[in-house]
Amino acid sequence: MSFFGLPENNLEEERQKIRNGGSHENEDVAVYTWGEESYDGLGDALQEGGDDLNDETFGGAGNVGKDFDFAGQTGLLEPELAQQKAASQAQPSQPFGQHPPSDRRTPQSLESIWDDRSPFSVLPRENGGVSRFAERGERREPSTAQFSPFPESPVLQQPNAAQTGARTLQEIEAEMYAAALHSRSASQRQQNALRLQQEEEQFLQDQAFQRQRLALQREREREQERELQLQALQRLQQQQVIQLREQPQHQRTPPPRMLPVSQSPRFLDQRQMMLLQQQEEHQHQLRLQQELQEHIRMEELERQLRTQQISQLNQGPTHLSHRRQQSGPTIAELQALQQQQLHRRQRSQSPAYQDFNIAPQNVHLQQRLLAELAQVEYMRDFQGATQAEQEALRAEAMRKIVEAEKMEDKRRRKAAKIAHMSRYNDLMTQSDKDFITRIQVSQLVTPDPYADDFYAQVYGAILRSRMGLQTQDERVLKFGTGGGISLGNTQKVATRRPNAMQRMEQQVERIVSNARKREEEKGLHSLHSLQGALGKTSGRSYKAAPRQLLQVDDNSTTSPTLSHAHPHISKEDATSPASEGAAKEAAKLSRETLGNTGNVVRKDPLTRRQVLTTLESLYDLVLKVEHLRREQPSPEEEDASRQWRKEYDDLVELLWEGLKVMVPLETSNPHPFVSLLTPSKGKKLLPRLTRHIGSSRMLTLMTLLVACFTQLDVVRQAPLLDVLEETSERAEVERQTQAFLGSVLQSILPIVANLELHVVTALLGLLIERSQDIANVAKTKPGLALLTLFLSRVEVIKQAWGTGAEPVDPMTAGASLEQWQAVFDQFFVLITPHFLSLFPSSRITLQAHHPTSAALAIDIIDQPVWQFLAALALQAVPEQHQVLVTSLRDKVLENVLSANKGWVADEDERRTKLANVNLFLHALGLDSSQIAL
Amino acid sequence: MLIFSVFKTLTDQQVTVELKNDLSITGVLKSVDQFLNIRLDNIKVLDEARHPHMMAVKNCFIRGSVVRYVQLPSEHVDTQLLEDATRRESLAAVKR
Repeated sequence: MSFFGLPENNLEEERQKIRNGGSHENEDVAVYTWGEESYDGLGDALQEGGDDLNDETFGGAGNVGKDFDFAGQTGLLEPELAQQKAASQAQPSQPFGQHPPSDRRTPQSLESIWDDRSPFSVLPRENGGVSRFAERGERREPSTAQFSPFPESPVLQQPNAAQTGARTLQEIEAEMYAAALHSRSASQRQQNALRLQQEEEQFLQDQAFQRQRLALQREREREQERELQLQALQRLQQQQVIQLREQPQHQRTPPPRMLPVSQSPRFLDQRQMMLLQQQEEHQHQLRLQQELQEHIRMEELERQLRTQQISQLNQGPTHLSHRRQQSGPTIAELQALQQQQLHRRQRSQSPAYQDFNIAPQNVHLQQRLLAELAQVEYMRDFQGATQAEQEALRAEAMRKIVEAEKMEDKRRRKAAKIAHMSRYNDLMTQSDKDFITRIQVSQLVTPDPYADDFYAQVYGAILRSRMGLQTQDERVLKFGTGGGISLGNTQKVATRRPNAMQRMEQQVERIVSNARKREEEKGLHSLHSLQGALGKTSGRSYKAAPRQLLQVDDNSTTSPTLSHAHPHISKEDATSPASEGAAKEAAKLSRETLGNTGNVVRKDPLTRRQVLTTLESLYDLVLKVEHLRREQPSPEEEDASRQWRKEYDDLVELLWEGLKVMVPLETSNPHPFVSLLTPSKGKKLLPRLTRHIGSSRMLTLMTLLVACFTQLDVVRQAPLLDVLEETSERAEVERQTQAFLGSVLQSILPIVANLELHVVTALLGLLIERSQDIANVAKTKPGLALLTLFLSRVEVIKQAWGTGAEPVDPMTAGASLEQWQAVFDQFFVLITPHFLSLFPSSRITLQAHHPTSAALAIDIIDQPVWQFLAALALQAVPEQHQVLVTSLRDKVLENVLSANKGWVADEDERRTKLANVNLFLHALGLDSSQIAL
Repeated sequence: MLIFSVFKTLTDQQVTVELKNDLSITGVLKSVDQFLNIRLDNIKVLDEARHPHMMAVKNCFIRGSVVRYVQLPSEHVDTQLLEDATRRESLAAVKR
């Protein structure tokens, strides 16, 4: 490395070359390495001193005049320059013309650099950077085509602009040098001796000068670097602030995972570009200075060229102004820029934004300086104002500043809050959301809505039917009420439906079918495939069913008829006779198999446990049958229909067997069927069976029921109802009785309503025969109801025959009637002694002061008895009427009397009493009003 | 699923939810989900003197896991149907 980076040339050689007009073709660009790692430390070895005459030498002592006549001088120069150029082009081998034009820079006067005290004079120099890479070919050349200080052409403000057409400064310089050499050669010989001496002095001076310059430059270098760093920092801060301000204006802030713009590679490029520019500019300056040195040397060497040189030096200020405008904008431009910045803060993504990033690098510093200047001026202005005014103004300003700061702070906090809140916006894409929705829906959708959503489905159906709602569009309703979990049967053809509804349905259908397909694919473990996909539910099942307290092994069933053991085992059952021992059970079984020769095998009645398990299995069957009925295929599909029918019939057959109706009557007491009817759920089962069991079987069932009527719990326990005290047993009997009346009798009602007369006769005979005391049966509510049912049916048949509505063979009809009358007579005789005791009110012994509500209740429970008596009266022959009236005379009179004499608590009771009496009297063709008291 | 099914039919009915922290909240059942989370409207806490902070609350969302009991309006529950539903469920459980 050579000094000043002039490769392999010491100063002496350089001088020699210059003197000899030696070729400088390969001269490299000055490369300065101070402060860099490769710096060889030569600068430190320089001798400091001999600077005494520097000021004189470089003209730093005096003031620089401002009376330059640039235009005039350059104008005068123009023709000469042109001539020189022509000459230089004509003589390419001329020494200074050999310098590559790109190496040349605008010479600057020392004064302009060292003594300029304007705030802007320092700016360009602070932006320079040392670069070893000179990029000779690409270096931007300031245009020197126009030397006028007047408003710069845009070309001058853009260093990048092409310089075709106009002559470059280098060209002009080269011409000037050429001219200088030309003139020098003339006087060279005369002054040779003198010059040798002068050269010696000059060399020493040069050396001293250069040492000094080096030190200064290094100093400045460091300063510039510091400044650069500071500037970069400031810029970064400002950009951050700007970004912060711009954030709320963005539609949405970038998610936290995104880098801020300043760190994006694109932005880095821009910054690098800026740095490069700065470095280039700095280099430019260094080169300028170097060239200045050369100029000075030239000055020393070529005294006779002074006039020309002066004219060139006079361009110094021009260059200064030019430089200032080139590297940094004028004040007006700065203000425009500030305005721009303000604008930019308001519009976040204006095109100016792009400009700003590559805007002149010293804008910020200039702004600062401008602000300082403005402040100084402001302070100066203050001097004129009075103290009070100043104070007021200051207070006002302070107040405004504080206010603005507050507002700004508030706004920023708000913006930060919004940014904080919105930073997770759109973290989930639409497809993410769809995915989760699918999981949720697929968890709710089941292939069999009736299985998993049975309650809601059926309840809704019942509710709708109760409200008389039309259920033509069942699926949609299900969809709406089922919360999208069940679509019901999809094979039903949709009629006219709104389009949107159809689309939604299609979507859900697709989801359902997809879910189904997936379940099928995954097989048995499909249930758990999505478990926990959206978090743990109960830790056991996503179906959210409550934990079962009793876990019973389904395989440990004791009898083949019990499909699975019922978990409810009460203490009662444990002590019941049936479960006394396995030995007894075995003996019974053997007896059963051995005694299968015609005689009815006596068995113990079903235990409560057996009843319950049988009932549960029956219920399961009923549910299956009902489910099957819902899925009945259309009659067109013959195969499916046939298969369905077979399945259905099998199930019904199972049901029938399960009911144990065909078990011989004498098998046990109570009969197994009666045992099954004992629990209320057994009673409630019957109405659900009647739909499936054929009427002939129902008749059999009813016959069995009539035959075993006295075995029924409601008949046996009936006397309990004749006490008014509220006991749990009575309540239970009451409940069972209601269940029997509501379920069992209701279910046989349609059978009775279609019975033939002879069948009714047979049934009544059976009832009389099977029950040891028909009066006891008649004293129970169910018995009374059954008898009333039979009697009224006979009356209906008689009326139908009488009016001819039911054409009948007179012979058979007569025989039937005869039979009936015989049985009825027998019945009447049997019941006659108990007429009064039929009334619950007669059986119940009332306390002296019974509450009125009890009295009313009695009248209400008497009502069925009056009904029965009325039905009896209708069937009775006149002699029997006599018996009836005499037996019931007291009862009738009592009621009518209490009603008419006002021995009743209220109108309700009176009316009930009269209605009851009239019910009976009307059957006899009488009325309570006819009774004279 | 059964309980979920039952609760679905009880929407817009008055229910009382007893929580495991002994808070009893009566309100109109607005919705229930598969986790048996419950949304109640127009709520009233049983012992307001003990829970004055609940007086201002008009509706609430109850996480299913904190519920101890829910008192249902008996007139809106079809017991027989409920029995059938349980039978169906146990049948399905046996099948599986």
